[in-house]
Amino acid sequence: MSIIATQNLTKTYGGRVTALSDLTVAVEPGVIGLVGANGAGKSTFIKIMLGLIAPTGGSLRVFDLDPTVETDKVRARVGYMPENDSLPPDVSASEFVTHLGRISGLPRTAARERASEALRHVGLYEERYRQIGGYSTGMKQRVKLAQALVHDPDLLLLDEPTNGMDPAGRDSMLALVQRIGTEFGISVVVCSHLLGEVEQICDSLIAIEGGRLLRADRISAMTTASDVLAVEVSEGTEELAAALKEIGLEVTQDGRLLLVPLTDEATYDRILHVVADLDLPLHRLDQRRHRVAELFAQRETADV
Amino acid sequence: MSTLELQNVSRWYGNVVAVNDISLNLGPGVTGLLGPNGAGKTTVLHMMAGFLNPSRGTVTIDGKPTWRNPAVYRDLGLVNEREAVHGFLTAYEFVLASAKMHKLPDAPGAARRALELVEMTDAQDRRIETYSKGMRQRTRVAAALVHAPQVLLLDEPFNGMDPRQRMHMMTLLHSLGDQGHTILFSSHILEEVEQVSGTVQVIVAGRLAASGDYRKIRRLMTNRPHVFAVQSSDDRQLAVALIGETSVSGVEIANTGLTVRAADYGSFTRALPRIALDRGIRLRKLLPSDESLESVFSYLLEA
Amino acid sequence: MSEASVIHDIGYQRYTGRRLGRTAVFSAIYVHGIRAAFGLGRSAKSKIFPWLVAGIVLLVAVIVAAVRSQTGVVVFNYIQFADSMSWLVIFFVAIIAPELVSRDMRSGVLPLYFSRPLRAADYIGAKFVALASAVWLLLGVPQLVMFVGAAFTTKTGMKGVWNELGDLLPGWAYSLLWAVVFASISLLIASLTGKRAFAAAGIVATFLMTTPVVGVLSILPSSTAQHLAGLASPMSLISGIGTWLIPSANAGFPVDRFGPVYGIEAFTLIAGCLLLLLARYRKVASL
Repeated sequence: MSIIATQNLTKTYGGRVTALSDLTVAVEPGVIGLVGANGAGKSTFIKIMLGLIAPTGGSLRVFDLDPTVETDKVRARVGYMPENDSLPPDVSASEFVTHLGRISGLPRTAARERASEALRHVGLYEERYRQIGGYSTGMKQRVKLAQALVHDPDLLLLDEPTNGMDPAGRDSMLALVQRIGTEFGISVVVCSHLLGEVEQICDSLIAIEGGRLLRADRISAMTTASDVLAVEVSEGTEELAAALKEIGLEVTQDGRLLLVPLTDEATYDRILHVVADLDLPLHRLDQRRHRVAELFAQRETADV
Repeated sequence: MSTLELQNVSRWYGNVVAVNDISLNLGPGVTGLLGPNGAGKTTVLHMMAGFLNPSRGTVTIDGKPTWRNPAVYRDLGLVNEREAVHGFLTAYEFVLASAKMHKLPDAPGAARRALELVEMTDAQDRRIETYSKGMRQRTRVAAALVHAPQVLLLDEPFNGMDPRQRMHMMTLLHSLGDQGHTILFSSHILEEVEQVSGTVQVIVAGRLAASGDYRKIRRLMTNRPHVFAVQSSDDRQLAVALIGETSVSGVEIANTGLTVRAADYGSFTRALPRIALDRGIRLRKLLPSDESLESVFSYLLEA
Repeated sequence: MSEASVIHDIGYQRYTGRRLGRTAVFSAIYVHGIRAAFGLGRSAKSKIFPWLVAGIVLLVAVIVAAVRSQTGVVVFNYIQFADSMSWLVIFFVAIIAPELVSRDMRSGVLPLYFSRPLRAADYIGAKFVALASAVWLLLGVPQLVMFVGAAFTTKTGMKGVWNELGDLLPGWAYSLLWAVVFASISLLIASLTGKRAFAAAGIVATFLMTTPVVGVLSILPSSTAQHLAGLASPMSLISGIGTWLIPSANAGFPVDRFGPVYGIEAFTLIAGCLLLLLARYRKVASL
C-alpha cells in the first residue's frame, strides 16, 4: 500500500505562483528522498501532507486519508522535523519533548517515558536536562528528531535533517535515519539537497523541479551499473592507456580514470593481464554506476 | 598568477584562539577550505580578505599584506556567507555599483562581462528579489568578479543551493580556476568539496591539519592500512592467497565480497593483479573504501 | 542457583497505549500556560515579576481586611478593590501575555505545535483561558482574603458571613470580567509581535492612550457623552458594567441608563479580540 499517493496534485498561490503542478506519484514504505529546487515545491508538498493548506487541484492521500478532511488522524501518524531552528532556548530537551508528547495526545506518564526513550534513541544523554539554548547544532537537530518520534508516528517527514552539521554529526544523523527506516519500521521522507546523502540512505527518490515531477523511482534503478569499466592506476596511466589500446580496447581518459567498454567478461582478464605485465599499481577496477546527480545535469536552464 | 600566503598566522580573541599558527600557500586553481563548524575557516577567510588583522604572522598576496591595504582589493574578490542584497536592484545595477566602487574605467562593460561569466545575462534586468537562491549567489559572485581579481574567496558558497544550482556554481569555479585564478572556497559539506576540488586545506580547531590533494594526503597516512573492497570469481581462494602476502594486514569475507586491509599500499597494489592471474581468479572489482574525502577528513580529525 | 543470561531488548518500542483527545491537549496547554504565567517550573528570574505583583495586591487586601477588622471602616469593597488594582493588572498582563504568546512565535516552535493534531482554536483558546485564570487568581485570592478577614470579625454571626459571601461572589464575578477583558486584549496585542518587549510596551500603551479619552469625554457638556465616556477605555468600561449590574457597589462610573450599552460593548470587545486572535493563528499555523 502506498503511504503517500498523489493524483494530479496542483497548488497555485494567488492564481499566479504555481508551487506544484500536476504531480502524480505513489510512495512505497521505506526511506524516500525528496529532492528539488529551493522554495515552493518541497515545502508546499509537506504543508499539504500535514493538512496545513489545501491543494488547488488534484488530490493527495496519506495512509489513504485526506489531510484536509481528516487532519487530526493524519497528523497523529506523522512526525515532522522542520528545517529551521524551531526550539525554545529556555527549556530542557527533556521537558520540551515531553510537553510535545502531551500535545500529541499521550497521557502524562507515557509522554514522559516516550520522551526519555526518544531522546535515548537519537543519542542525547545527560545533555537532555540542560537548556536547549546551550546546545550545538547537531544536538538541536537531534532534539527536533526526538520530538518527531515521541508519539510513535508511522511516517517521518525530515526537512534537511543534516542542516548545519559537520561531517561527523552528519554521518551519525544519516545512520540514525537509516536505522529508523529499517529497524524501527517507520517510513521516512528525507528532503535534502545533498544527492550523496540521498543515494546513501534512501531506497527511492522523488525529484521535483519547478513544481513538476522530474523523476520518481527506486534508487537502485537510478544507480544501475553501466557497461563501462573504470580502471585507475596510481602511476603509469598513459602507459596503461597505450597498452590497452594496443590490444584492441577502446579507451577514454577521464582525469585519472581510464574508461573501457565492458564488451564481455573477458575484458576484466585482459585489463588485468596488461596491468600485471606493466607491473603497475592497480588502484581501482570497477563497473561505473549511474548517479542520481545525472538527473540534474541533463537539462540546462538559465533560470537556476 | 597570484599567490596567497599565510605565514605563522594566529588570531585570538581574549582566551579564545580562533586560528593557531597556520602557514599555507595558495596558487592558481581551486582549493577547498575544509573543517568542522567553528574550526576557524571564516576567520581565515576574513584575514585573507583584509577584514581582520592576524594577531601574529602575516597574510600576503604576492608579498603585499592584506590588512589595511585598500590597494589589495584590486586583486581580491570576496563572496561572504551571509550578505544582504538590495532586493529592489537588478543584477546589472548591483554589479555595476560594485564596478563603479572599484573605479573601473569601463564599468558598464565590466559589469556585463561579469554577468555573462556567471550566466546571468538573460535575467540581469530583473529585480533581485525575484531571483532564486542560486541566482542571487551568482549575482554576488559576479559583483566579486567584476574587477577581474586574481584571487576569489568564497565563504560557504553552496549553502542552501539545490543540486542543479550547485553544479552550475561548481562548473563556474572550475573554469575560473582553469583560467589561472586562485580560488578558495570554504565548506563543511565534504560531498561538495570532493566534487569541486581535490586540493584541500583542512583546518581543525584553529590548526592546519593537512594541505594538498586529499588522495595524496591519504597515502601519507602510512600508519593506517588502506582499505579496499574486492570482488572476484573466487573470493575465498583469493582471500587465502592475500593473507599470505606481507603487505596485507587483514582480510574479511562477507557475501558482498572481501574487505582487504593493506599496510603497504605500493606492494599490495602491484601484487594483487599477479596473485589473481596466477590462480586463475577473475578480478571484478577493486575499490578503495577509505580514500574518500570523508574518510581522510575523519582520520585527520582523530589525529 | 544462577539465572539464565539474557540481552534485554531495548530497541525502539511502538506505542500502543491510549491517545487522548482534544480535552487533554487543551488542558496540557492550559496548565503549561498557568505555570508559565507564575514562573513555575522556570528559572527564578521568571518568578520575580508575577509574584511581586501578586504580593502587592495581596498586601493591599490584607491591609484593607486588617483596617476593617480593627476599625470597621470599609476602605474598599470587593468591586472597588478590583478597580483600584487596575494598573497592577495592566502591568501583569503586559508581561505575561507576551510570555505566553510572543515567546512561542519568536522561537519558531509553532510548526512543531501545528504539525500535531492541534487546532488553532484550541491553542489560542487554552492560552486565553490560562491568562484569564491567572488574572482572576490575581484578583480573586486577595478578595478571598478580604472575605475571610471580614467573616472572622463579623459581629452578626452566620448572617454576617452570608452577607459577606453575597458581596464576595459578585466581586469574584467582577474580577472574572476584568480577567476576560484584559486577557483578550493583551493576548491580541501580544500576538502581533515575537518581541516580548515590544508586546509589553504595546499593551501598556494601548491602555495608557485610552484613559485620557475618557477624561476628555466626561467633561463634555452633553450628559449623554458624559455617561458614554466610559466606553472609550477598558477600565472604565468594566467599571461602568459594575455600576450597572451591581449598583450598591459604587464602582465609580456613572452610567445612568446606558448600562446595557456597556454590556454590549464589552461582549463585542471580547468576542472581537478572540475572533481576531483565532484568525491570526489560523494564518500563522501554516508553516
